[in-house]
Amino acid sequence: MEKKIKLTINGKEVSARPDMTILEVAKENGIDIPTLCYIPDLSPIGACRLCVVEVEGSRTLVGSCHTPVAEGMVIQTHSPKVIATRRVLVELMLASHPDACLVCDKANICELRRIAADLEVGLPRFRARKHYYPVEDEHPRMVRDMSKCVQCWRCVIACKGESGTPLFGTAYRGFDSKVIYGFDQPLGSQACDDCDACVEICPSGAIRKVRKAGEERANKALFIKG
Amino acid sequence: MPQPRVVLKNCDVIDPKRIDSYLENGGFKALAKARREMTPEQITGEIKDSGLRGRGGAGFPCGIKWEGARTASGDAKYVICNADEGEVGTFKDRYILEKDPFTLIEGILIAGHAIGAKQGYIYLRVEYHYLLDHLQNALNQVKQKGYLNGFSLEIREGAGAYICGEESALMDSIEGKRGEARYRPPFPTTSGLWGKPTIINNVETLMNIPPIIMNGADWFSQMGTERSKGTKVFSVSGDVDKPGVYEMVLGSPLRELVEELAMAKNIKLVQIGGATGRILPGDKLDTPLAFEAMLGAGAVTVYDQSRDVIDIIHRTMEFLVEESCGKCTPCRQGTEVMVEVLAKFHRSEGSLRELRNLEALSSAMMLSSLCGLGQAAPNAVMDSLQYFRDEYEKRVAK
Repeated sequence: MEKKIKLTINGKEVSARPDMTILEVAKENGIDIPTLCYIPDLSPIGACRLCVVEVEGSRTLVGSCHTPVAEGMVIQTHSPKVIATRRVLVELMLASHPDACLVCDKANICELRRIAADLEVGLPRFRARKHYYPVEDEHPRMVRDMSKCVQCWRCVIACKGESGTPLFGTAYRGFDSKVIYGFDQPLGSQACDDCDACVEICPSGAIRKVRKAGEERANKALFIKG
Repeated sequence: MPQPRVVLKNCDVIDPKRIDSYLENGGFKALAKARREMTPEQITGEIKDSGLRGRGGAGFPCGIKWEGARTASGDAKYVICNADEGEVGTFKDRYILEKDPFTLIEGILIAGHAIGAKQGYIYLRVEYHYLLDHLQNALNQVKQKGYLNGFSLEIREGAGAYICGEESALMDSIEGKRGEARYRPPFPTTSGLWGKPTIINNVETLMNIPPIIMNGADWFSQMGTERSKGTKVFSVSGDVDKPGVYEMVLGSPLRELVEELAMAKNIKLVQIGGATGRILPGDKLDTPLAFEAMLGAGAVTVYDQSRDVIDIIHRTMEFLVEESCGKCTPCRQGTEVMVEVLAKFHRSEGSLRELRNLEALSSAMMLSSLCGLGQAAPNAVMDSLQYFRDEYEKRVAK
């Protein structure tokens, strides 16, 4: 049997396999850490930073989705410092996200909205520019609207592409960074005839299915706690 | 007090175009000593004992880094010299590369021997493209003399991104990818370039290696303070009469550097460590230049009383928003928000509420950013709020 290690999460001692991440151990013990870029079974991205937790002895918070557990680690997943930081992060995402939920096809299944509601974030304290990109709606099965992208890069990691060439890449720098198709072309009608993985995993309205009126939505409808 | 020259000892002494003049001045003796008389374990031990810390800004103990890569298992290992001197206001590595490329190459070769690497890279920022031929000439001469001894050293050029001076983004860039910060662990010493054990050292750090090997750890650790050993090369610019490159023993007061050597007058503030560095007001010039206080990569930019603090901070943040890699939320979005808020204060349209939000934002960025850029990006804002809060309050809209 594989050797187990002991660590403390939120004051409770738990045991774990040494190859697990903090997030996996937390999940196993019924602790809910919000994530936006993490996809189980794929290599972690570490971009959204929502899964940060406090680890005793660490100068900064650490991303739980990519940090392996270690013997004797003392972790706080919901300390005031952690919650305050997560709130700022969600507010930063909302600050440059279009306020178009009313007419957004994904509004009821949007992960960004759910996390914002969970963290009780209302109107963001911060103001930032918004991105205006033309909607890419040539493709028969998916619509891409990059002005709604929160840059989690899930689609970049998940897409293998038909011929093994990934569809998406990242480009530009800083606030102008963008998930691009090809050399930043709009997604054409012939772009991809493969798996719809990107549609399934996009947490916001940036990539969505072409849906006829009255057709049922694929995911669970948004449930707001409180 | 005249300052000793350790890193710059050959600058303006040797002819950087001719290896013979370097050899006449004791060149490659340290490499010979390291290869013939010392085991890799002894070398890393010597570096550890010397107390040498990384000169690129973070100040990580060099010996521990080397030890990690030496003991890591891997069929290939790499040494990278970080010559992507991108920090705003630093030009010390350029000076070193121009005046003494041979000591640097010797340092890299010793590092290669110490960790068991057969391949090395010098990552040269593209803005220093004019130095490429100069460096290549030095490298060719070293090769001709047979000092490489099976080690392969290559010069790779960057493409003009500030973030590629950050070690993990630098490795992405060498691998041919878009430069993005990676999460750690795994650290480069176990999984770095192409997933192999790698050490990445700043130009100046590697310049210290040959003298430490020649003179011993004890000689080196006599200089400096308890936790900052040796000397440091500073690039001084801004409102000074004598801008330039100065080498000082660590722990020397900032005042000596900016007032006595660089001849600055009427200092309002000094920015230490460039865009992600710290800010000190003119009445705190007796702060020692050491890792215990503040140091960064050695950029010292002096601003006199005629300068506007908000303008300085706004411009600093405008630089960072453009140079963030864009991967993680706090850095990509946070720098953008900061620029907007600072622009409002710049136009005298700020509000006290925004000042409070700025503090909450700074704290979140420092705590949650993926790499050093995002974590240190709010430094200038936080320091200016501490020392020059009245200047912000004056710009609140009436």
